[in-house]
Amino acid sequence: MDVSKELQEYAENHTTATIERAVPVEVDAGLLAAFDTTPVEAEAYSTSLEPHLLALTLTSTHSLLSSLFSLPTHSTPSGPTALLPTPTTLLPREKPLPKPKPLTKWERFAKEKGISHKKREKHEWDEERGEWVARWGRDGKNREKEDQWIHEVKAGEDADQDPAMTARKARKDRIAKNERQHARNLADAASAAAASGPFKVDGAGPSKSASKSTSTSASGGGSSISQAAKVSLRAVRKAELERSMLVSKTSTASLGKFDKAIEGEPRAKGVKRKFEANEDVQGEKDRQLQLLKGVERGRGRRPRGGREARARREG
Amino acid sequence: MSMLRTIKPKNARVKRALDEREPKAVENEKTAIFVRGQNTSEKVRSAMKDLYALKRPHAVNFSRKNPIHPFEDASSLEFFASKNDASLFLTGLHSKKRPDNLVFTRMFDGRVLDMMELGIDQIKEMSEFESVKASVGVRPLMVFHSDLFDTHPTYQQLKSHLLDMYNGHPLAEIPLTTIEHVISITAGPASDVVPLPKVHLRVYTIKLLASGSRIPRVQLTEMGPSIDFSVRRIQEADSEMMKAALKRPKLAKTDVEKGLGKKRKNIETDEMGDRVGRLHVGKQDLNKMQGRKMKGLKVRKDKAASGGGADAEAGAGADEDMEGDE
Repeated sequence: MDVSKELQEYAENHTTATIERAVPVEVDAGLLAAFDTTPVEAEAYSTSLEPHLLALTLTSTHSLLSSLFSLPTHSTPSGPTALLPTPTTLLPREKPLPKPKPLTKWERFAKEKGISHKKREKHEWDEERGEWVARWGRDGKNREKEDQWIHEVKAGEDADQDPAMTARKARKDRIAKNERQHARNLADAASAAAASGPFKVDGAGPSKSASKSTSTSASGGGSSISQAAKVSLRAVRKAELERSMLVSKTSTASLGKFDKAIEGEPRAKGVKRKFEANEDVQGEKDRQLQLLKGVERGRGRRPRGGREARARREG
Repeated sequence: MSMLRTIKPKNARVKRALDEREPKAVENEKTAIFVRGQNTSEKVRSAMKDLYALKRPHAVNFSRKNPIHPFEDASSLEFFASKNDASLFLTGLHSKKRPDNLVFTRMFDGRVLDMMELGIDQIKEMSEFESVKASVGVRPLMVFHSDLFDTHPTYQQLKSHLLDMYNGHPLAEIPLTTIEHVISITAGPASDVVPLPKVHLRVYTIKLLASGSRIPRVQLTEMGPSIDFSVRRIQEADSEMMKAALKRPKLAKTDVEKGLGKKRKNIETDEMGDRVGRLHVGKQDLNKMQGRKMKGLKVRKDKAASGGGADAEAGAGADEDMEGDE
């Protein structure tokens, strides 16, 4: 049995010979990668592909490993561990950089005035009971007034009012107010995010960027606004579509009077014309004078053609 | 995103899961989705199987075929990306016009960043090589050969795609004994006849031999897969989008040294190599311990709160009994 061929194959597969390189192999230890920038030899490539690939890999792997093994190490239970440097090859991130959390109205105010944040503890000391009690929540101190069985009625207060109910109503109103403020802060944050997406839509109105987003999401190409911005822009786009639909409905010669209506369609409400009252002499006089003043100052319509045309005429 | 409801977290677990998907300064490892198109060939299926095996555990394999043509319409990929929080895709396709097709797609912020189409010319599966395979989850080394990966934009993109797929997540440290395999990517020599030469992907297991110095000698054994690719269509990234994707966060050096912004408190590794956590539990108050529940010993909430009544006394009696037991 002749095993020389197998032996030769084995030796080829297990070789440790490396190729000499004039240009050293670039190593990016942070990414565990090496880049051999020497052009592949056409002759070796065409005649003996597999051994050549193996030799190339050996060369670059050897230089990568030698740089990995010369990195500073520390010993861990799983053997010596090399501390890797930061990668030099730039690869794209998965998601954009996190944006700082938008400030609430109070936080903005506090920042302006230089008020520093003071965290209030959840529990406070109750002198009467001689123990720590929660400020709010279960057995909260904010419900003390509602639970007590005797109330002091101050002079001038209504005799038949229910103090417990008044206290409860005041607490519920505070909660409602806080929720309103929270909702407003959220809305402000959302609109601010929509106004400045990750890659700012420069000066483009909401309609322009919205149409851009819809067209690009259909084609699957790269649009340039974020997901959150898309959602809020959709509302703007919807309002705009409704408006343009209304306009187009009344754009026929008969103002849409004879058009077929779709079932369940809301009635288009147009803008009502407003006439000035005939009796108001003073108001009419004021308006006419205002108009005359404008003519006097020369604040009429600009000549056609805009600034460039004017410049051409003058210069 | 439009197809998904925006979820408002109702409990802490859901909130944590959603926060995990938010943009982070130091990102998690990218997940890759391996999905088949309507028609695939044997070559495509075996290539995807092996490339998936190399990418595991940060990979999801879709077992069903999907009517996807990434270059025509990538909306379903965007949907999959948002659903699975994944940003890398490998789509396998096969058609008369483009036989044995693999499409690499990268996402940024839930939208397609760039795409790359490769045709499989020749493949030898991992199972065809009689050798020891690398363990799952072990980080490979990656080596690229040819000047094209440095000069030609198409090959630069290919290099970026493959690096991103297998080594994109930078590690802070690596145990040197865990180096098991190397992925070797070689582009053939470019000429006027062959402007876009083939790309050869080979995977070898590494055996480190003693050399007498600190740096060991290397012995390689092919482990598979062995795939020859030809470059087909590419879709380059939008420059604005790429610019945003390449932005790096400014991290303080101390944060980087302390595990990149991640809080690691009370976790240690003991001499046996086990991870040990330290928990802080408040001092146990035996007086508050719940004894045997009986109707007679019940502490009513309203009376206990007012701090008086017969029930509270009964409770105190129970406490004394318990102390007597000890």
